[in-house]
Amino acid sequence: MANSSRPKLAGVVTTYFRMSHAQHIIDRLLDGYGWNGTHHHPPMDLVSLYVDQVGTTDFSRERGKRHPELKLCSTIAEALTLGGSKLAVDGVVLVGEHGNYPRNEKGQTKYPRWEFFEQIVKVYRDSGKSVPLFNDKHLSWNWEWARKMYDTSRELGFAFMAGSSLPVTWRTPSVEMPLGSRISEALCVCYGGVDSYDFHGLETVQCMVERRRGGETGVKWIQAYRGEKFWDALRDGVWPKALMDAALCRSHTLTPARAGFNDIFPTTDDMRRLVRDPVAYRYEHADGLKCTMLLMNGLVKDFNFAAFVEGSRTPWSTQMYLPMPDGRTTLANFFSPLVNNFEKMYLTGKPTYPVERTLLTTGLTAAGVESLFRGQTKFETPHLDIHYQPTKESTFWRT
Amino acid sequence: MLTRRTFLQTTLQTTALAAAAPQNKPASKRIAIIGTIYRLQSHAQHMGDRFLVGYPLDGAWHMPDMKVVSLYVDQKPEGDLSDARAKEFGLTVYPTIAEALRCGGKELAVDAVLIIGEHGNYPRNEKGQILYPRYEFFQQCVEVFEHDGRAVPVYNDKHLSYSFEKAKAMVDASRRLRFPMLGGSSIPVTWRLPSIDLPMGCEIEDALMVGEGGSDPMDFHALEGLQCMVERRKGGETGVKAVQLLQGDAVWKAGDDGRYSKELLTAALSRSDTPLGLTVTDGRTQDLVGSGELQKLAKNPAAYFIEYRDGLKATMLMLDGAIRDFNFATRLKGTPSMWSTQFLLTPDPNVTYSACLMHKAEQMFETGVAPYPIDRTLLVSGILESCLTSKVQDHARLETPHLKVAYKAPQQPQYARS
Repeated sequence: MANSSRPKLAGVVTTYFRMSHAQHIIDRLLDGYGWNGTHHHPPMDLVSLYVDQVGTTDFSRERGKRHPELKLCSTIAEALTLGGSKLAVDGVVLVGEHGNYPRNEKGQTKYPRWEFFEQIVKVYRDSGKSVPLFNDKHLSWNWEWARKMYDTSRELGFAFMAGSSLPVTWRTPSVEMPLGSRISEALCVCYGGVDSYDFHGLETVQCMVERRRGGETGVKWIQAYRGEKFWDALRDGVWPKALMDAALCRSHTLTPARAGFNDIFPTTDDMRRLVRDPVAYRYEHADGLKCTMLLMNGLVKDFNFAAFVEGSRTPWSTQMYLPMPDGRTTLANFFSPLVNNFEKMYLTGKPTYPVERTLLTTGLTAAGVESLFRGQTKFETPHLDIHYQPTKESTFWRT
Repeated sequence: MLTRRTFLQTTLQTTALAAAAPQNKPASKRIAIIGTIYRLQSHAQHMGDRFLVGYPLDGAWHMPDMKVVSLYVDQKPEGDLSDARAKEFGLTVYPTIAEALRCGGKELAVDAVLIIGEHGNYPRNEKGQILYPRYEFFQQCVEVFEHDGRAVPVYNDKHLSYSFEKAKAMVDASRRLRFPMLGGSSIPVTWRLPSIDLPMGCEIEDALMVGEGGSDPMDFHALEGLQCMVERRKGGETGVKAVQLLQGDAVWKAGDDGRYSKELLTAALSRSDTPLGLTVTDGRTQDLVGSGELQKLAKNPAAYFIEYRDGLKATMLMLDGAIRDFNFATRLKGTPSMWSTQFLLTPDPNVTYSACLMHKAEQMFETGVAPYPIDRTLLVSGILESCLTSKVQDHARLETPHLKVAYKAPQQPQYARS
């Protein structure tokens, strides 16, 4: 039951089918989740929910029936005002992932995160009051809109968090990049599509490298490599093969390169055979750090990080472990640390990690797509002059 | 202990020596693999292959400085890979264990033996135990050791034998002939979520493990998971006084009667990534204990109650139908909250958890010192046998004076964390 001392939250989501991001995230607020060795019920109430696309596979109506305190709303404004004239909630959860939305000529799915955000801040402005907002994944597929979202949050002064589960999930091994490390190269080997899991790979890298000496300084340029150009780049040593190998040695899902073997390290020829459409984003930060994100569908199904860190003779590496419900698990429990982090924001009014990380990874995702669209040419990114400092405390799942 | 650093140093030194005076390089250890079958995804294949093609370790692909020279397989079912491995890796498949150990010669010609007696077609006894011939394989190794006047380290996968008596004879032989021996499951050495071990010398008030899968393969894993945690308690392991196995509704009644803590059960299940039922139907999260769904899902539960000689009582619940992973919870004296973790069984086909286990075998082969005591595996072998005896003796509580197995847990945590 709603209690006046508990924050009231509104959910604004694109769709709510089984295994959609909204289902994973909103269900954790409604039904609780395993956390710190107990079934944790967040000390806040989701009081309203707007679902943009309610299809035949929808579960939001079932959730509404089972949680009578949850008001299903037909507009975003209604979800935020609870049918009144002013903002009536203490926080908003925006999940703009999944659903049927058009793609543009660059292959970006035009999820309406910015459009939802605009409607949310209209209520904020009209009410003369702003409350904390969490935005799942990147801010917007469109850089200008993403930047506007960030600037608006600063202008109105509300707490704003965003991003992927990758920075906050379990790690195997359970290690954190020491604050102030000198990093010369960093890399992630992962899987998935462009304008999709590339964002997760970029967040994997960014949550680590932002802890380097001096903090984040922004990114100067990015270059994408795909297909044959990817293999040429690998052969030419555009990114260090040693880091790629180290990252692959953290994988739990290496496709066996040969029949009759269950776990065997692939040669470059094996990789060429297994990975039909590889993609790399190579980019340089303003302070000279170079990073690479590799999508290698067919070779791995997990997110593995490696870096050259001064003082270590061998690559520093870990896996951002996602208990993926692809048949092996049933719960996408990597959403639990994401929800747990944003819960804290609704309780304290302070994000647990800086939204500038997601602003940068949003810009990198769009810039990677742009480089691909422009024929895999180097794309200068003066607009990604984004500076920030990481949190001192680690925020990944360790307890 | 062979750490990455010492390994690197060893490798570098070895490399330097090899460059300067190749004749001084110590010969690589020679390994014999004794398996029931060698088929893709069988234990012998995914464990044995680690010594042939290497495995991931500490963020690098590690090739053991060892050579598998001989292989014995008891059965060659369809899909057998033993001959293909022999051809590719230059080893020999021998028709008997003695010949494999002697590499066809007159005396012991290997430096270590890997016994993998899991999978294959073997009968079950009335308790449901699969009669894998681990003891018989081991005995044949011991006969060679005794006859040839030299013994080498032996790794035995999973429990030592379905029979405690036979298991005890195996450990006794290793002590008599003074060869290091290691055994057990991957569960104690795989990754943990969260990455924790119990503090050495902790005082345990209560401990509970949940697992799933058929008996007797999977209950052994769950019992070893439990044992590798509780053995770190104050005073070390002292052995087991009595056991009892309950099934069906008696399991839920035992919970209602307070024979195990529902709070600990909730804690253990909070670590699960695999609740079934409504989670499968519509994706929702579940508090299986609080909602009462657990009883609906686990239609034929089993509770393995273990009374230790020092007074500790622990419970292992097999909850087929409710979850598909292995999770532990405990309450320690002097700490406010419960401790709980999941033993992460990494996905097929890589099953990288077996790389964690083979690294321990490799360490023993290399150093001659078992990284954790075989007594753990001996005790768990006995706990399992006695629990299954309880099952067929009308679920009676059985005194287990023979399980007076005392040992000290290794000081350093042994699970994957680097």
